[in-house]
Amino acid sequence: MSGPPSTYDALVVGGGHNGLCLAAYLARAGWSVGLLERRHEEGGGLNTEEPSIPGFYHNLHAQFMEFLDYMPFYQDFDLERMGSRSVYPEAQCGITFADGRAPLIIHRPDLLDRTHKSIARYSKADADTFCELKRKTMEIDQFLAASLYNPPPVAEQGKLPNPLANPMIEPMFAHLGLDPTYTLKSPKVIIDELFETPELRMLLYRECVEWGTPVEMEMGGTAFVMSVLWLSAIWKLMIGGTHTLAHAMTQACLREGVTFLESAEVTKIVLSDSRAVGAETADGRTFQARHVVASSVDVRQTLLDLVGAENLSELWRKRTERFRYGPSHVLATTTWCLTEAPHYRSAEVDPEIDRCFYTVVGFEDPDQMMDYIRAAYGDHVPERPGAGMWVNSLFDPSQAPAGMHVATGWFFFPTADRLDERGWEEVRRTYNDRFLELWTQSAPNINSSTVLANRLYTPDQMDSKNRMRFGDFSNGAFAVDQLNSSRPFPEAAQYRTEIEGLYLCGASSHPGGGIHAGPGYNAYKAIAADHGLAELWEANGRIY
Amino acid sequence: MSGDVSTAVRPTDAADGEDGRLSFDAVIIGAGHNGLTLGAYLARSGLSVGVFERRGEEGGGLCTEELTLPGFLHNVHANYHTFVGLAPAFRHLELTEEGLEYVRPEVQMASVFDDGQALCVHTDAERTHASIARISERDADTFRRLQAEARRYVDLMLETFMYGPPVGINDLTKALVTFGLDKRSEFLEAKLRGSTIAQFLDRHFESDAVKAHLAFHAAICGYATDAKGLAIGFPLLVGKIDNWQLCLGGSHRLAHTLWRDLVRHGGLVHVQCDVARILVADGRAVGIELTDGREVQARQLVASSIDVEQTVGRLLAEDPSTAALRAKRSELRHPAWSLFSVHLALSEAPHYAAAAFDPDVDRAWVMNLGYSRVGDLIADWKAAREGRLPDPHPNAAVNSLFDTRDAPPGKFTGLLRQIVPAKPQNGSIESWDEVKDEYATRCIETWQRFAPNIQDAVIASAIDTPADIERKLTNMRDGDWMVGEIALDNLLDKRPLPELANYRTPVERLYMCGSTQHPHGFITFAPGYNALQVIAQDLDLEPWWRWV
Repeated sequence: MSGPPSTYDALVVGGGHNGLCLAAYLARAGWSVGLLERRHEEGGGLNTEEPSIPGFYHNLHAQFMEFLDYMPFYQDFDLERMGSRSVYPEAQCGITFADGRAPLIIHRPDLLDRTHKSIARYSKADADTFCELKRKTMEIDQFLAASLYNPPPVAEQGKLPNPLANPMIEPMFAHLGLDPTYTLKSPKVIIDELFETPELRMLLYRECVEWGTPVEMEMGGTAFVMSVLWLSAIWKLMIGGTHTLAHAMTQACLREGVTFLESAEVTKIVLSDSRAVGAETADGRTFQARHVVASSVDVRQTLLDLVGAENLSELWRKRTERFRYGPSHVLATTTWCLTEAPHYRSAEVDPEIDRCFYTVVGFEDPDQMMDYIRAAYGDHVPERPGAGMWVNSLFDPSQAPAGMHVATGWFFFPTADRLDERGWEEVRRTYNDRFLELWTQSAPNINSSTVLANRLYTPDQMDSKNRMRFGDFSNGAFAVDQLNSSRPFPEAAQYRTEIEGLYLCGASSHPGGGIHAGPGYNAYKAIAADHGLAELWEANGRIY
Repeated sequence: MSGDVSTAVRPTDAADGEDGRLSFDAVIIGAGHNGLTLGAYLARSGLSVGVFERRGEEGGGLCTEELTLPGFLHNVHANYHTFVGLAPAFRHLELTEEGLEYVRPEVQMASVFDDGQALCVHTDAERTHASIARISERDADTFRRLQAEARRYVDLMLETFMYGPPVGINDLTKALVTFGLDKRSEFLEAKLRGSTIAQFLDRHFESDAVKAHLAFHAAICGYATDAKGLAIGFPLLVGKIDNWQLCLGGSHRLAHTLWRDLVRHGGLVHVQCDVARILVADGRAVGIELTDGREVQARQLVASSIDVEQTVGRLLAEDPSTAALRAKRSELRHPAWSLFSVHLALSEAPHYAAAAFDPDVDRAWVMNLGYSRVGDLIADWKAAREGRLPDPHPNAAVNSLFDTRDAPPGKFTGLLRQIVPAKPQNGSIESWDEVKDEYATRCIETWQRFAPNIQDAVIASAIDTPADIERKLTNMRDGDWMVGEIALDNLLDKRPLPELANYRTPVERLYMCGSTQHPHGFITFAPGYNALQVIAQDLDLEPWWRWV
């Protein structure tokens, strides 16, 4: 007998952070678990590589960690003992300008006086408003986290889910002192109403997009609270790159007895009497599941490609086919090997910008920012190539050779299908150079003599590497009709599918993409309820 | 073929130290395959094990990356695994049960020559004989006898001399003489310790092409054709000439497999943790300090799988007991040559002109592109030693012919690899950055000469120079992927220095367990396994892994 076993209590499809999370909990509950991963590495978007010069590490997908303090997987499985380490930079996110204007920097929530000082350079009123909102938001962060780490509310029988029916929303707005009508507005309208400073508005638009919330999405009040007020400026940096977190998660899974089946591309979820009973892989292997098959790949791939439309009811087939990818959360990662860290003109006013974790570069006014976002969410590559940049080596020397620096940034781009193969090749060949021109204007020391190498990693490549369709790293657009109790669609929002034994545990389920492992955790709750497994989430005194 | 999972047993926990400090019974520096192998055996022996790795991935030379484009898996370093099934670790650590899969291509190796002829080594010895016989019947018969003989003693040689602490060359010779080897053997003779591989080939074979192919095969194993004394290792290489195997899903999968075995048995690997210092108290290794300032306690032992220069020069810089070793660092020998690789994403597999002579070349794995006589190889070694770029005669491999998972459907992943000087110009390894593009083009042009469809099939390429080897794996200084020259006076009990050859060091409970040690680099698992034997003695461990 050779090779790993072929029968497990549960099979988990996909070894990204959600698959790893669910596998760890199922194994701890006593089940045997086989985790099938198509790639040669676990971690999905927790991906760190040396794409240009060995020794320069770049995170090609996930960059920053805002959920480490909340993530049950992180706490329950002691991922720090499994080797995960992080840094919590003081200056969190900022924007810098070519003309040397004062930068705007939002610091950690425990350093709000610094944030206040930075914003107050432009407007004391804005500084007061922002800092007060941030302070009050952090008072209720556990409740906000609870909204991620629980299945979304179940819609009333026979009724459509109402995105405003969440009982949490009204008290939340009351606590923050925000007009309840903001629930109906888009983040952009809210930002413009609350703040007068163009520079701050620009930064907040970008923050909103950074977490994947379309800035002009109506009924976006809750999203504004989540992505702009809560999840901004609580970003941690993974020492060694985000892939080290995947390593820690993997070690946790191994300790629980999970079997890793890698280079195992699932091509079919096997049904028997309309029940999911196993999976077949591209190389002809078959694995059996006694109780559960859980898929962390997106809902369309799971139901249309792996289960097959012919095995779905007409309603489920239609719903699945109508599930949309992008345009939100489609990005390109720009990677730079540098002989020195950027020194910005704006540092003359506030040197902290040179030590800021995340710095927005290349936008001088709000129109440029909005043009960019609208282009990216529309159908073309933005004309003016601004970016948000991380220089991780400022905080973690292990990510670059001694004395050198590594910069990684995000461009937001249209979905991969908007250009053909040659079009993306052209973007990869030219776009970084165009960005460098803008970058040099803001940081004159970053130029051809300090740049050793650069590479651009585009949405079409994210699709081919990680099967993030069209480059959509959230596995499905963030839109009101695809969020919460409607994600991926109302009938599938509780992680169960119409196929008995088949569960969804990936980012196309609530709460979506991002390294929180919420879908994996919530799927465990659903599976535990259905199969009488231990209520492991009650550990550690959390409210979720 | 159904199996079942027994109830998952939570492995013994590696308890932390009292002050919250990381603490293990055994601390291993470097998560290459030797460090992981030693770690996995120790974990299975009941020790808590922590492995600390400077890079973001475990595996060292077992490194698979999408260097060119997503979906194309390239083995950046180790590509050919020749000890599959031979190394004890495969059995003891149940690597297959953990999911490791290998394929042994039927056409193992081939040479295509300028005159359009070709020669193939098959897993089927009769087919190999037929292939060689088309060039020289006499050589075909000789090779058949050589291979048969080598097979008879390959297990003895491996288990006695490779998978155990080293014996001296004199003792080895004595044993062989006592055994009556010269009478029992046509090919293996004690006097080979004074011969080069080229001389051995001249003595036994007549055809230039056959000799070139056999010398090529040894060269890929790191054995220089013209180095005195290496002839004694040559029959051993022939004993496994048909055991070249490809790790499915990429070589890195072996690293994952070892890692998983280690963790399942209670060990942990900490990646992106560079070690700054080995902590010594009263002459005994008690832990390590990381470059970020953290200390890790080692309750029983520390083992270093990295090079001697770093271990004694950097990690023990202030330790008095190793001062004498530090003074001898300049005696550590690294070859002047290294490897230059071009990794390719291809839209089609190569179709060789020589397929008209022998269609099997199109399904061969390891290809010799153009070494037609032993002199061609010697010229390359000479050029490499003198810092000149040789005219490329790269070896080529298209793994996707045997592992469809390493490239997108219908596409192929290719590798060209050439022996080159580690320091091509002005003695500087960095000068590779200037010449690499042009040299890569020349390598591809050579391939094109033998496989006329290949240039048009190139979708993307990525170059890996000796400078890149050193940048990625600092252990392989000067691009020395064997971590110490392969030369008779730098092997066995001379490796890496006589004082360190038995895996112990002047610091009590500090061991060397990497490729610096006997037998040498390559995916043998032997340095880790052999260090285990010494550690087991010192710690009085129950040797559960002994099968005799």
